[in-house]
Amino acid sequence: MSPFITRDGSPTTGTAAKTGSYPTAMAVSKAVEEDYEPAPESHPPAPVEQVLHNRSTRHVAERPLYAPSHRKALHSAKLAALHARLSLPSKLPLQTLARCLIDSSADPRPGYNNAPLAILGQDLLGYYTAEYILCHYPRLPMAILFAAQYAYVGNATLAAMRSEWGVETVGAPGQEVEPGLLQLKRLMPGNAMLEGENIRVRDMPQARRLGSGRRNEAFDYRRGMSSRVVYDDQFGDLQTGLPPNDARPFFGAPISTPNTTSDVEGTSNEAQPQRDASALSVHDPPEGPQTVEDTEPTTVELASASFVRALAGALYLHAGATASKTFHKDHVLSRHVQLHTLFHFTHPTRDLSNLCKREGFEPPVARLISETGRLSRTPVFVVGVFSGEEKLGEAAGASLNEARIRAAAAALRSWYLYSPPETEICLPSDAEGLASISKGRGKANHKEANMPWKPQMIDIGEIIT
Amino acid sequence: MASTLFARTLRPSITAAESTGYICQSCRRQESTYRRTRKALRVKPDPSFLPSKTETQDHIIFNPPSSAPSVYHTPSLFLPQDDPRRRVHTRASSAGANPPSTPGISRVPSATATVPPTKDRTLLPSVRPTYEKKYHVTPEQVEEIRRLRQEDPRQWTRVRLAERFECSQFFISLCCSAPEVKAEHDKALEEIKKKWGRRKAEAREARKERKKLWGMDA
Repeated sequence: MSPFITRDGSPTTGTAAKTGSYPTAMAVSKAVEEDYEPAPESHPPAPVEQVLHNRSTRHVAERPLYAPSHRKALHSAKLAALHARLSLPSKLPLQTLARCLIDSSADPRPGYNNAPLAILGQDLLGYYTAEYILCHYPRLPMAILFAAQYAYVGNATLAAMRSEWGVETVGAPGQEVEPGLLQLKRLMPGNAMLEGENIRVRDMPQARRLGSGRRNEAFDYRRGMSSRVVYDDQFGDLQTGLPPNDARPFFGAPISTPNTTSDVEGTSNEAQPQRDASALSVHDPPEGPQTVEDTEPTTVELASASFVRALAGALYLHAGATASKTFHKDHVLSRHVQLHTLFHFTHPTRDLSNLCKREGFEPPVARLISETGRLSRTPVFVVGVFSGEEKLGEAAGASLNEARIRAAAAALRSWYLYSPPETEICLPSDAEGLASISKGRGKANHKEANMPWKPQMIDIGEIIT
Repeated sequence: MASTLFARTLRPSITAAESTGYICQSCRRQESTYRRTRKALRVKPDPSFLPSKTETQDHIIFNPPSSAPSVYHTPSLFLPQDDPRRRVHTRASSAGANPPSTPGISRVPSATATVPPTKDRTLLPSVRPTYEKKYHVTPEQVEEIRRLRQEDPRQWTRVRLAERFECSQFFISLCCSAPEVKAEHDKALEEIKKKWGRRKAEAREARKERKKLWGMDA
């Protein structure tokens, strides 16, 4: 008995991309359409040498498949049910939804897996989330921004989203499995025993993951908040898994070697054209893993996050910015993040008096509002922090000191959690492209053209402890 | 905040000096440790913490403190100049001297709510003694502070220097320091801490951890 609910029984959603009315979507899926030739079922995945041999001599059609073919996607009940359950627009074909479910650990080739879509989706989700937080809470400190960003679109949240959507994972990826499952090669658990040895996986010496080679990854680099803003990813975490600095941006890209003509000129002129030809050769054998045996296994959390991100990217390509923004609003912003629990002040009273000094307020004074049981075992003091006559914060505590410090922290929280009125908030992504629309279509989109861009509040910054 | 509706004379006093009148200091008994840490903690829980008798299924209990103000309600002082809510606040406060309808106090209330606000009204008592910064220490005095501390750091401690020059101990620490005396003190403190038993050491550690939660609203 399938728990999935479909809007209508027949999966009619796959036909949109074939009509050719969506050039961006077609441009992306063109490579897929060419490459996804079904391999004979009897052939196991070919070894590397054979693949390279095939590339040079035979037709492209004989490349092996490590994940289910896109032709199966139209006949998958799970995919159609997922498409309907998420209320995805019919412009998004089932084939692309199936491709979003193929993690790069299941198929390392970027023409087949969801990695390119996930990169686009990660940027889109990050952009929409960041603009939402920044416009709604313009005074948030940088650390809270990073934490809120991670709470909205971090790996853990997206993994929870995947399981809430009812997308299940495969035991092992393969051509014959159901295409509605998340295809990934699972990482062996750390406390599993190695085969034939009396030792756990986590106790084995492991090679360090290659980083980006930036200097903030050195062990003695002091990673402050500024370094996180400049070097690190949208969550303020180290960017692992980046290619090294001299890596090619994509497979087969020409690499320009540093020009040493001053040395070469004197020695031999015949070597020069050869060097140029080799430097700009596009037909090099592609780098990186090409078969599923060579890929690094991954965790379900990472693969789930890449699936959700790829879906957001695919929505943008197939159905446009509005659809991806609606997707973000429905699935990301609908999750409630309690921003006031993210704060951790170490010296709230000092920060508050610094804030009052900076803003030109009267210095804060803690005053006792009410109390009970001063001489009992469980006293409660209610203390408010006042600047002049205005109350800035209030808190209760079991001692005067505790209540005073808690009240100062509450005052700081209410400073940082200021939100402009809803009528004043205008997200950049809502306003972008409006000028061209109003110019091009005249009064057709009068309602949208009525919403001009408003400059948003920008705060001068947090209090540095 | 119902207590603010009463006159201050009706409320129980908050100063310790007045409480000595009705509490017998000499007859207070030291409770034994067992009673203090075990028996006295066996209190009947609030009914809202017990399993509900009316709800048969799992349900959400939302039971916040009745008067805790939300940090999402920005105080009017923290609103930017061009925020429309600021105008609403000032209009509401200038409309009349009658107390606001919301239970939270947005301003320092006067002793009796009916008296119109004046300059010299009685404010709520401050938690700590208030003081004005005087900025009265001259460079010569700073030099003298340093000289005294240098000559006899055991005699001229931070406290004594602060008393003599009528400034804060923090200011004295900005002027001078005595690292060798501090090392001695730290060593002596370590010796004392070594003699602590398990319970005392754990209690101190737990207190530190609890203090960290003050800044986390937990």
